[in-house]
Amino acid sequence: MLKTIKTTIQNIRYFRFYTWAVFHFSDYKPQPVTIPRVAKWLSQFDEKDKQSIIDLLHQVNYISEKQTESLIVKLHANLWERLAAVNITSKNIIYVHLHDPGSSSSVMLNMLRDRALLERRGSHFVDSKNVRELHEITSKLEQGAIIYVDDFSGSGDQFCEVRDYLKDYIVGNFSEFFLLPCICEEAIYELGKRGIEAVAEILHAKADRPLHNMSSIIDKRTKNRLVEISHKIDKRGGLGYKSMATMVVFYRNAPTSTPSLLRGNIKQKPFVGILPRTTDLPVTS
Amino acid sequence: MSPRMQKKPEEAVASVVPQGLLRKLNVSDIKPSVTNPRQLFDKAPLDALKENIRQHGVLVPITVYEVKGQNKYAILDGERRYRCCQELQEEGVTITIPANIVAPPDKIASILYMFSIHNFRESWELMPTALSLKVVMEALGETDNSRLSKLTGLSEPQVERCKVLLSFSDKYQNLSLNPDPKERIPSNFWIEAYPVLNLAEEVLPGLRKRLGRDGMTDNLVEKYRAKRIKSVIHFRRILEAFEINSEDKSKQKPVVERLENYITDIQLETRKAFDDFVVDNRRVQNAIKACDDFVSQLERGKLEHVIDKDELTSALKRVNSYVEALLSRLEGADQPGAVASQDEHE
Repeated sequence: MLKTIKTTIQNIRYFRFYTWAVFHFSDYKPQPVTIPRVAKWLSQFDEKDKQSIIDLLHQVNYISEKQTESLIVKLHANLWERLAAVNITSKNIIYVHLHDPGSSSSVMLNMLRDRALLERRGSHFVDSKNVRELHEITSKLEQGAIIYVDDFSGSGDQFCEVRDYLKDYIVGNFSEFFLLPCICEEAIYELGKRGIEAVAEILHAKADRPLHNMSSIIDKRTKNRLVEISHKIDKRGGLGYKSMATMVVFYRNAPTSTPSLLRGNIKQKPFVGILPRTTDLPVTS
Repeated sequence: MSPRMQKKPEEAVASVVPQGLLRKLNVSDIKPSVTNPRQLFDKAPLDALKENIRQHGVLVPITVYEVKGQNKYAILDGERRYRCCQELQEEGVTITIPANIVAPPDKIASILYMFSIHNFRESWELMPTALSLKVVMEALGETDNSRLSKLTGLSEPQVERCKVLLSFSDKYQNLSLNPDPKERIPSNFWIEAYPVLNLAEEVLPGLRKRLGRDGMTDNLVEKYRAKRIKSVIHFRRILEAFEINSEDKSKQKPVVERLENYITDIQLETRKAFDDFVVDNRRVQNAIKACDDFVSQLERGKLEHVIDKDELTSALKRVNSYVEALLSRLEGADQPGAVASQDEHE
C-alpha cells in the first residue's frame, strides 16, 4: 500500500515536470517538446539519476522567440543610440549576416530589418560570403560601423573564421560590433583579440554551466555522475563542442556546445534528446 | 570618381596627422588593425621585444587613431609592441602603452598603409590587394606600373599580377572570393592561366571562334576542379613547351595540337600533356652555369675596394633588377594552404 502511494506521488511529480517542460520549451522549433517525448527522454535514465536530470533541465536558460526578438531589438536600439552620438548614421552602418540564408544569423538580421525598419533608413546589408560587395560598400562609405548579427556565439571559432576572411576586404575606418542576445566568455576573449565589441545581453560564463569543469554550482558527486552519463551517450563529445557544456538554448536550435544529455545522439539513436539540434534529428521522407 | 575629383598621386601618400595627444592606453583600449596579418611576426624577435617590455615597459609610443563609436584606438604603427603587451597581459602582467593619437587616415591613405603591410606578408592573398589597387587606380587616375609601385610599395611584378587578375571579368574574380577554401579558385590560377589563354587565342583561332576566351577559361576552371591541374604553376610547362619548340615549325605543330586537346579534354592532366615536349633541360643548366661563372668572375676581380665605382654600381644594379624580376616570376606558387574549417555550428 505504502509503495503504491509512493509510486503515485512520484508519478504526479513526474507529470508535473512533464507539463512544466512542455510549457517552458513550448516554441522549440527543431522538434516540439511534448509530454510523451519528455517522458521518453527521462525514462532513459536510472531511477536514482532522474532527480538530478530534472534539476539540470531546470537550469537550461531557454530563450523563446519572443524573448529573442525583444532582446535583439533592445540591444540594437541601444547600439544605434551610441553610434548616433558619435555621428555614425544609419546610412553608414553595414549589417553582415554570417552564414547561409535560413541560418540563425540571417533570421536575426531579418527580424531586425523588419522591426527597426533598417532598409527604409538606408542601412546596408551584406552576406558574409559576398566579400566583393563588402569591399565596394566600405570603399564607398569610407567610415562607419559594421554590425555582425547572430543569436549565439560559443567558442567564437565560427564567427572569427568568417570575420578573419572578411577583414581583408574592409576598406576605411569602421568600428565593428557583434550583436547577439547571448555570448560565451570564450568568444568574448577571441573577439577582444580582434578589437570587436560584443553587444550582448547574456554573458554565458563557464561558472554558469553546471557540467563545465570550471563550475561548482552543483555538488561534485552529482556533476561527476552527469558528466559520466554525458560521455556514455556520446564518447567523443559528451559535453558538446570543445567540452563547453553550454546551457543556453534558443527556440530555433540548441548550440553544438550543448551536452549530449540534452541533445541526444545523431539521428536520436540510441539516445533520444529533449532538445535536439536540427542536425541531430533523423531525416524524414 | 570624376577625373576632376581625383587626388594627385603625390598627395595620396599615406601620411599621419598628429593631434598633439599622448595618452597611456590599456591593451583593452586598442583595436588591432584589420590590415595587420597575423603571419607578420617572427616569434624569436617578438619574444626578445616582449622580454624587454616586461623589464622596461613600452618606451616608444605607438601611433593610433580613434575608432568612432567603439571607445577604442586602432593601431597605425606599433602592432608588435601591442602584441607583446597583449601576451604579457595574458601572463598576468599589466602594462600601459604610451600612444600618440593621430587623426584617422582617409580611405586612400588606409589602403596605401594596407599595401605597405601586405608587402611583408609571407602568404599573401592577391585578391584583396588587387581590389584595393583598383580603388587606388580609380581614385588617383594612375595606371602606370612604376608609379603605382612607388605609391603602394608593391613591387612592379606584384602590380602587374594584380592588373592581370583585374583583367578577368567579375564572374571569374568571384570564384576567387568564395570564403570556402574548398570551393575557392586560388588567385594564382588566373595569373598562371592568363598567358596560356593569350597563347591559345593566338595559335588556336578556330578554337577561339568556337569557344571564345570565356569558353576556354571555363574549361580550364573545370579542369582545375576535376583536379587535372595539380599545381597552377604547371601552366608554365605549356609556355615552356612552346618556347622550346618555337623556332621549328614542324616541332611546334604537335604542341599546338596538344594545346587544343588539352583545353577541350578536361581529363587531360597538364604535365602528362606537355612533359613530352620539355625533356631537354639544357636551358636551365646553362643558366645555372652562367650564374656560377658570373659570381666567380666577380670574385676574381676583387672589386670591394675600387674607387671608380659608379659605372660598376650601375651595371650591378641592372643585373640585380633583372634577377629580382626573374626571381619574382619564378617564385609563383599555389595558394597558401587552406585553413581547415572548424566543426562548429552555433
